[in-house]
Amino acid sequence: MDGRLTKDLPNFRPNKAPVKKTVKEIIYHIVGIILSLIFLFPIIYMLATSTKSESAYAMGVGTLNMFLPDFANLGTAFENYKSVLLNYDIWKYALNSFIYAAIVIVLNILINGLAGYVMAKLRFPGKRLLSFLIIFLIVVPVETSIIPLYSIVKIMLGLKQEMSVIGVILPAAISIFNIFLFMQFFQGIPKDYEEAARIDGANTMGVFLKVIMPLSKPIIATVAVFCFIGVWNDYLWPSMILPSANDGSWPLLPIQTALISIKSIEGITTGEIMASLVITSIPIFVIYVAAQKYIVKGFGTAGLKM
Amino acid sequence: MLKTSLIILVLFVLAFGGFVAYDLATARKRREVYRVKSTATAYLMLLPAVALAFLFILLPILYSLGYAFTDYYLLRPNDINFIQLQNFKDFFAELSTKGTLYNAIKNTLTFVVGVVPLQIGLALLLALFVNRQGIGSKIFKVCFFAPVVISLSVTAFLWEQILAPGPNGLLNSIIGMFGMAPHDWLRDPKTAMPCIIVLSAWQGCGYQMLIFLSGLSNIRKDLYEAAALDGANWWRKFWLVTWVGLRSTFVYILITVFIGACRILTQPMLMTGYMDHTVTLSYYMYNKGYTERWVGYSSAVALLMTIFIGGITLIQRRIFREDK
Repeated sequence: MDGRLTKDLPNFRPNKAPVKKTVKEIIYHIVGIILSLIFLFPIIYMLATSTKSESAYAMGVGTLNMFLPDFANLGTAFENYKSVLLNYDIWKYALNSFIYAAIVIVLNILINGLAGYVMAKLRFPGKRLLSFLIIFLIVVPVETSIIPLYSIVKIMLGLKQEMSVIGVILPAAISIFNIFLFMQFFQGIPKDYEEAARIDGANTMGVFLKVIMPLSKPIIATVAVFCFIGVWNDYLWPSMILPSANDGSWPLLPIQTALISIKSIEGITTGEIMASLVITSIPIFVIYVAAQKYIVKGFGTAGLKM
Repeated sequence: MLKTSLIILVLFVLAFGGFVAYDLATARKRREVYRVKSTATAYLMLLPAVALAFLFILLPILYSLGYAFTDYYLLRPNDINFIQLQNFKDFFAELSTKGTLYNAIKNTLTFVVGVVPLQIGLALLLALFVNRQGIGSKIFKVCFFAPVVISLSVTAFLWEQILAPGPNGLLNSIIGMFGMAPHDWLRDPKTAMPCIIVLSAWQGCGYQMLIFLSGLSNIRKDLYEAAALDGANWWRKFWLVTWVGLRSTFVYILITVFIGACRILTQPMLMTGYMDHTVTLSYYMYNKGYTERWVGYSSAVALLMTIFIGGITLIQRRIFREDK
């Protein structure tokens, strides 16, 4: 509204020539391009190097070619990708990450969605205590309970090696902040929808699954996107809890944690390391581009955290 | 440990039962009606969330508090002794030897003091830069945000290559063009922390830029027009309109960036390992608890850290509290 109004207003300073404005625009864009290049140079370097063999990389050192792909050997540009995918099994780790993320997303939405629904819509004694606990756990900075969490998962649950994936998935399935997000969203859904379903004879669970969930696609998408990014990018916790298998069986590590062992493989080239970094980053880039709308929404709600 | 957890669970259930009884007793006064069926459904539907939250969120917090006063060694879970404040005494004794712990605190403070103004300043400048109409600024916004998308481990490995010590490292080859000798950026105590500060700010500031942008979009445009009519120059407009409008956004960003900076762990862990010139407090705590398995001592360090961070956060809030 405001923007349109100002555009319609006459120019207050007619003595300012339009030429000056064009010059300003050009300067703005030149500065912007320079700043963008400064921000992107590590990524450009990563992409360019990932297409090069070790000798091509060494030849480009100290020249602008470090930021350009190897034009002389464009036919072999994907050699590094092929070799990390096939020889170093990076696809297995990537598949692990996808599986963990999928399970966490489903559990997270069901468990926290249910809790958020109960907190938003149902009446029961003890609700005030739980609301207080939710706010308390969100506001109080719990910096460093990762070591006790480790001792609980490792000692108390006594997970065997093969079962340690449970230790990766279950702690990620609960998120107080997501309960809070769901709660906020469900409070905005009018009662009429539920009542109509109840008259048709649906029970509470039925209302939740058939009425509330279909109405909540935006918040579900936001939670799913953040879950995926969280699981895909998590490094520390899986590295503590999962065994790094080297007996030839299917590895359990997710991709971020596997990077460190891939990086230290003997004889791996700089190009191959860069290729594995690019492969690790691609799904997140895709998610960000595809789900931009929901991510921005999530940022907006993140402001509520205070 | 199982026994203690069960005791805590019983206490938790008892406390919850007490609150339920209280709610029931005061129901009439609050004109609240509880139905048995809906209450039972509610508890049933809450059960998975409450069980997981109890096990993986509440229990670790309580244990972290409790372990801080014990000599718990991870491989001896059945032999835990209450040792009062010994862990804290050990902490300060080790601090006074100016060893690893002293360096950890020093490096963490260096990082916080370096990265908080750098990252927030950059984020604000970038937000002001792209806060306009047009396709160009949209593209620039995406470029500035791109590093946020990359994970911490990829960032660490990527910058490890950029800062590689040999003449083939990217940074070394660039300074080589100007005839400077290659430098071992991450091993040199003088340059290691500044490098980590710069790469952290590079990676993080796009996120805060977006938050600043949403703060900027909430500032009423007519305020700028009024200021322009009053003849305010760019600086006065920024100071009187933009800065005032961004105040609460700024406090939010300051606190979150500060807390994040205090926790720094992954970058030094992946880029240099446990070295005196890059070890941070989180890393020290992690190393004591996980690698050396002294969970008790590590929990004491965690407790001190939480108190420190919580205290500074409270002070920040008080200083920047909005004047009504």
